[in-house]
Amino acid sequence: MKNQYAALIFATFFVISCTTTVSDKVTSSDYASAESDVYVSAEKLDINLSDKIYFNFDKASLTDSSKELISEYIDFAKNAKAIRLEGHCDERGTREYNLALGEKRAIEVKNYLIIKGVSSSKIKVISYGEEKPIELGSDESSWKENRRVEISLF
Amino acid sequence: MRILFLFFLILSPLSESKLKIEITQGSETLPKIAIVPFQNEILSGRETISSLVEANMTLFGEFNSIKKTEMLSYPNSEENFFYRDWRLLEVDYVVIGRVDNTDLTNLDINYLVFDIGLKKIILKGDISGNLNELEQISKIISNRAYQSITGLDGVFNTKLAYILNPNKNSYKIYISDIDGSNEQLLFKSLSPLMSPSWSADRKKLAYVSFERGYPEIYIQDLLTGNRSSIDTLGMSNSAPVWSPDSKYIAFVMSMSGNPDIYLYNLRNKKISRLTRHYGIDTEPAWSPNSKKLLFTSNRSGSPQIYELIVSTGRIKRVTLDGDYNARARYFPNGKDIVLVHGNDGVFHIATKNLKSRFINSISKTSLDESPTISPNGNIIIYATKKKTQGFLAGLTLNGKSKFTLPVQEGSVREPAWSPLAN
Repeated sequence: MKNQYAALIFATFFVISCTTTVSDKVTSSDYASAESDVYVSAEKLDINLSDKIYFNFDKASLTDSSKELISEYIDFAKNAKAIRLEGHCDERGTREYNLALGEKRAIEVKNYLIIKGVSSSKIKVISYGEEKPIELGSDESSWKENRRVEISLF
Repeated sequence: MRILFLFFLILSPLSESKLKIEITQGSETLPKIAIVPFQNEILSGRETISSLVEANMTLFGEFNSIKKTEMLSYPNSEENFFYRDWRLLEVDYVVIGRVDNTDLTNLDINYLVFDIGLKKIILKGDISGNLNELEQISKIISNRAYQSITGLDGVFNTKLAYILNPNKNSYKIYISDIDGSNEQLLFKSLSPLMSPSWSADRKKLAYVSFERGYPEIYIQDLLTGNRSSIDTLGMSNSAPVWSPDSKYIAFVMSMSGNPDIYLYNLRNKKISRLTRHYGIDTEPAWSPNSKKLLFTSNRSGSPQIYELIVSTGRIKRVTLDGDYNARARYFPNGKDIVLVHGNDGVFHIATKNLKSRFINSISKTSLDESPTISPNGNIIIYATKKKTQGFLAGLTLNGKSKFTLPVQEGSVREPAWSPLAN
């Protein structure tokens, strides 16, 4: 679009009684596209416990019942090779803030596990923000399912 | 975790993402414009230049146009143009033109823009191109006409980047012309994609991809399709924004679970830290002069907007009212901002002057987010939701017009308006 720019400079200098004169040429371009692929995760341990910790809107703090649930995990967590904590949010509010909030939620769970004696080095924290909802509706019953940290042991 | 394969391909446009602007609220009080059929513009069954220009000028609901059948005459030069024909129809501006050279590989188009109120010609333009470039030709004529009438840059040859989520495990980034046409797939993945941001020269797009199992910023060259990530030693990084002077990408990195704002120097690839707080700091946005950043922080207990002077690190709180103010962007004037304003669980797009306390909600639906401003500061496109489908909507800042960009299937979000071409 160099010509358009040149034309603009031209136009700026040769204003005749408020009439602008411009001269243009057309240029156009196509874009290339790319595709990613899949990442493979290790085999997950099957544990007979709810694997979701729930949160209040815009909060990362653990409720007493959440702490109880996490406590039930401690023995399994101590024996697991790796622990993945995946933080999620409901759709309300902004996406990038929710990405950070999901991480804060997962970190809260991680810190609680550490306090209870689980080694921090094997805990992996990931946030998906509001990008991977379980429920797609826009009401509290969907939102409360989506505000969660998912615990996976490997 | 590992990447299995990565490949590049050129894809033809897919119809699934086709966006089209539909005006949902107009106004009787808009300036009235007439685009007269250009002389010799009927070219082997193509859409005519005058109808393409008319579609552009009325695209966002900034002008009302009069039908060709209502016109009293079809002037094609200054000599046969009579102001009274247009004053009678209460037309404010008239565009006329002619195609001089009907050799289809070398069209030469001359056009004039008349201001009926001032009773004078405000623009004389000419443009050359070939028959396959009629859309582009019409966009440039529209930009010129728009600029001569409003004094603002025309945005008809700008682009829109957006994320499409066709179904649960499919994420795509598209770029289309600003009217939704000519969409092209840039990248697709089985994992979420977020936060598209344009480089100032429109040659690259930065965005967040989860393809390796955690959020990471990728920079993709639009012409070659080549992609690279910022090396952050495996720490989550997100929310990239390209500085208008093209020197930096401001972004968010989480060191041991603490998201702060960082700068990535595009020349020497070095990373420097800008904020240091145990709360959430995210959603950076550059001022037009590349000297300041807006960002969202919950350091006060709820998300609020702050402004940071990059050279000194000084931080000032910008929003004081409401329990949720986030993802702000500067207007081109650097003095006003647009943001997402939440109160009692309802989220609107809002504007605010940096010097005044007042926050002005401008959208009406309840889950509005990701506002992006046209480079001339006159129009906003944002993401919203109806039932379970995300779609894009927009409005003109004077409040007179509203529009939507419906999509056939899937959800669309995170629109990013490109800079002007230069």
